[in-house]
Amino acid sequence: MSVLRNIADGLRFLFRKEQVSRELDEELGGFLEMAVDEKMKRGMSRKDALRAVRLERGTLDITKEIVWSARWESFVETLWRDLRFAVRVLRKNPVFTAVVVLTLTLGIGANTAIFTLIDTVMLKPLPVPNSKQLYRLGDNNNCCVMVGTQDGGSFVLYSYPLYEHLRDETPEFSELAAFASYVSDLSVRRETDIAAQPYRGEFVSGNYFAMLGAGSFAGRLLMPADDTSGAPRAAVMNYHTWQRRFGADRSLIGSTVNINGVPYTITGVTAPEFYGDTLRSDPPDFWLPLAANPDRWLFGAEPEWLYLMGRLRPEAASGQVQARLTVELQQWLGSHREVIPERDRNDIARQYIRLTPGGRGVEQMQTNYAMGLRLLVTLSALLLLIACANIANLLLARGSANLSQTAVRLALGASRSRLVRQMLTESVLLALVGGAAGLYLAYVGTHAILLVAFRGAQYVPIEARPSLAVLAFALLLSVATGIVFGIAPAWMTSQSYPADALRRAGRSTVDRSSVVQKSLVIVQVAFSIVLLIGAGLVTQSLRNLEYQNFGFVTEGRLIVNIAPSLSGYTADKLDGLYQRLQDTLPQVPGVLSASLSWYSPLGGNNANERVFIEGKPPDYRWTAPSWDRVGPHYFETIGTRLLQGRTIEERDTPAAQHVAVINETFARRFFPNENPIGQHFGMGDASHRGDYEIVGIVEDTKYQDARAPAYATFFLPLLQSPPGEPVRGWVGAVELHVAGKPESVEPAVRRALADIDPNLTVLNMVSFGEQVARNFNQERLIARLAELFGALALILACVGLYGVTAYAVARRTNEIGIRMALGAEKKNVMGLVLRAALGQVGLGLAIGVPVALAAGQVMASQLYGVKSYDAAIVGLAAVILTACALLAASVPAWRAMRVDPMVALRYE
Amino acid sequence: MPMTDQSSDLVQGTLDMLILKTLALEPMHGYGVAARIEQMSGGIFRVNAGSLFVAFERLQRAGTLKGEWKTTENSRRAKYYSLTERGRKRLDSETREWTKQVAAIARILEAS
Repeated sequence: MSVLRNIADGLRFLFRKEQVSRELDEELGGFLEMAVDEKMKRGMSRKDALRAVRLERGTLDITKEIVWSARWESFVETLWRDLRFAVRVLRKNPVFTAVVVLTLTLGIGANTAIFTLIDTVMLKPLPVPNSKQLYRLGDNNNCCVMVGTQDGGSFVLYSYPLYEHLRDETPEFSELAAFASYVSDLSVRRETDIAAQPYRGEFVSGNYFAMLGAGSFAGRLLMPADDTSGAPRAAVMNYHTWQRRFGADRSLIGSTVNINGVPYTITGVTAPEFYGDTLRSDPPDFWLPLAANPDRWLFGAEPEWLYLMGRLRPEAASGQVQARLTVELQQWLGSHREVIPERDRNDIARQYIRLTPGGRGVEQMQTNYAMGLRLLVTLSALLLLIACANIANLLLARGSANLSQTAVRLALGASRSRLVRQMLTESVLLALVGGAAGLYLAYVGTHAILLVAFRGAQYVPIEARPSLAVLAFALLLSVATGIVFGIAPAWMTSQSYPADALRRAGRSTVDRSSVVQKSLVIVQVAFSIVLLIGAGLVTQSLRNLEYQNFGFVTEGRLIVNIAPSLSGYTADKLDGLYQRLQDTLPQVPGVLSASLSWYSPLGGNNANERVFIEGKPPDYRWTAPSWDRVGPHYFETIGTRLLQGRTIEERDTPAAQHVAVINETFARRFFPNENPIGQHFGMGDASHRGDYEIVGIVEDTKYQDARAPAYATFFLPLLQSPPGEPVRGWVGAVELHVAGKPESVEPAVRRALADIDPNLTVLNMVSFGEQVARNFNQERLIARLAELFGALALILACVGLYGVTAYAVARRTNEIGIRMALGAEKKNVMGLVLRAALGQVGLGLAIGVPVALAAGQVMASQLYGVKSYDAAIVGLAAVILTACALLAASVPAWRAMRVDPMVALRYE
Repeated sequence: MPMTDQSSDLVQGTLDMLILKTLALEPMHGYGVAARIEQMSGGIFRVNAGSLFVAFERLQRAGTLKGEWKTTENSRRAKYYSLTERGRKRLDSETREWTKQVAAIARILEAS
């Protein structure tokens, strides 16, 4: 009640200030008059009485001030006045205001963008209820299909029978679900479609959605009953796929579509925010029951291809469950020794399961980006510090320049706290404006960052919407920045003694603030050189990655990914298809040569298989070599050089002698001191050691990991299966060497493919360069942002140096005038100014370079082909910084040179 | 300019209570209240205008006082303050509390 009245009275005061003020005047006047009357009654003269009353009771004005400042609304009033004053001041100094706001925008924008990125990529849990109860069985992201014991003993991939065992034996999970560790290509055709369309799908266990607790947008999600071999085939569609590719057609739900040639009922659509178990570009379009997977061999006890994730009951302790799972795993492996290859059996006792929090799903991106984002956070924090130093400097310079004005205000009775408060208001106002602009920049920036991070994605499952947390972060940051850089100048101003300040205004040579300013510039230079060197290191690392010798040529190459298996082809029809492709494609105008392969380099696919060399004992020291199936002219088409022997040619048909081409590493590893040509080897087991004859050696080529040395690799003809085994040589990629830009032949290639078979599923077409570039999305993002931050830091440091130098010149105009009057030459004066600036830069470099070198040590493991102490990068960064700094300082130096002694001496 | 302010020893609550007590007898203007407090305290308390009017404002906003413009006996316009119902209650409770505290303090001081 009284609070309300208080507010009401306060508001009355604010809006009817005149009247309230008049009333108080009258009341106080009456009060003092009555006191005077009283004194006069006791015989005082009016003059004495007035004086006595003033002494005893206070004057009218002071009393008014006391009453006024006791009201809460007086605070609002002062604030409002300060704000209006601040706006006026800032508008009178547009250049200053613009520089400060811009600096802040960049500093805050960069930090908010990075924080938004971290929030969306690193911190956001899966959009499902109680995500904290979710746990993953495994602690790394090894993929796809494996056999035997696992990397370092930590189990991540599970076979289907092992999954069933763990699911049934671990009651601490309310649900334990399994899903394929990879997304599969699907070919989907509605009855109304002429041709099947490529989509992406994930095979999941029937309790997958129950485990996640995900809800549907429409219809129902998969249930355990869908995941049995006899059940009618059911599929769930991604909301975004439904929206973008099916026009949100309600009639689709409950209807039947043809997936990989089998009719499925679409039971429902997931919730809009749901993207599955892994944050990645292009999440699955469909979720299908495990039992629907056409690759029946995957359900044996050998292949390990499933990720497991479960929802732990609230009362269960994860540590105990983890121990229990390891025991169950060991028991199962012990009782299934026959599925573990001989070489791995001794490792069974070392296998374990680590339970890791699964609230963010399979943390693929999170793991990939962790180090890079840490680096970016450091860089952006440095940038913000530089920005703050800059602004502090600007405010400081201005505060010093306004010294005489401040002195006058102090002399006229302004209290120090009022002065400080007024300056703080100004800084916080600046910070808020900068913060708002920074938030906008962050919004735009995060969009751009996500585009770089998810390059090549058709759909990105997360939005760059600054969350409430980010908003709070930006606001806090901007206000804190405002206070930090506001306090220093305000405090210094309040320290000045009016008389003192008035006396020395304009003519002083000693000034405490100039020491602070110079220190700030030195710090800025130091931070900038750290940023520049850091940016240089990651940029060089990216360049080394992108322009390394891959063992193939990307220019003028187009990769077409196809999926004959999804288009109804059976193994016996492949030969005909491949013949037609090989005959037709080179005829397409612009195509110089064409070839086929199982998969293409750095396209995300890799297969490996243990080999047995004829005449040599089995050698388990090496990881199994990689292999690929390739058609005639393959190596010429992708630009891999033949070193010895011949490549795979048209004559290498299924009926002909089985041949293989190997790469240098394969040759070096398995035939260290002999000629591999003419030697034989095979896959599977020792009985196959005579299957393939080596006919050629090609240069090393990177297929899987661009950072690691090329794997030992062998290449087989498309359709030469080991003797006695059915022909299976599915082609997934068509390589084209074209004249001119690869994209320009796309339409013609598409037409040619449609002529060959309109039903052939074309998954995508991409230039070879782009396919390779997508391997470096993360490095590129980090490098581009680091470069951007480095450039901004450079600009800010130069602005800071310019500001301080210009200010110093302005302050020393007097002194310079005297020097010149006494005979100093212009170049001496210029040297004087430049020397001071260079001294600061030199000190900054002396501090920054060792820091950068130390930081380089920390980053070294993330860099490719760059030494942490790369002298060229350090030198280049130092030269760039010094050159820019000299340029920035030379403007005021030139101005100093042109000082007219006569004017300067009179200057105040 | 320094001010003599002999009521500065008064804790905030005490001035409020004294004002309420003074006004409990009859509505009075500001000077009347100050003069009455000084007179009744035997000149020990001197109330300056600043503290007094801040207190008036505070008490008005708390709903314990209300002000009304009237003409004084010297035919001057002045704002007369009077207690509201809430003010009367507050005076009662504060008096009781004060008596209790004074008695307690006295007991402590006597028990040497």
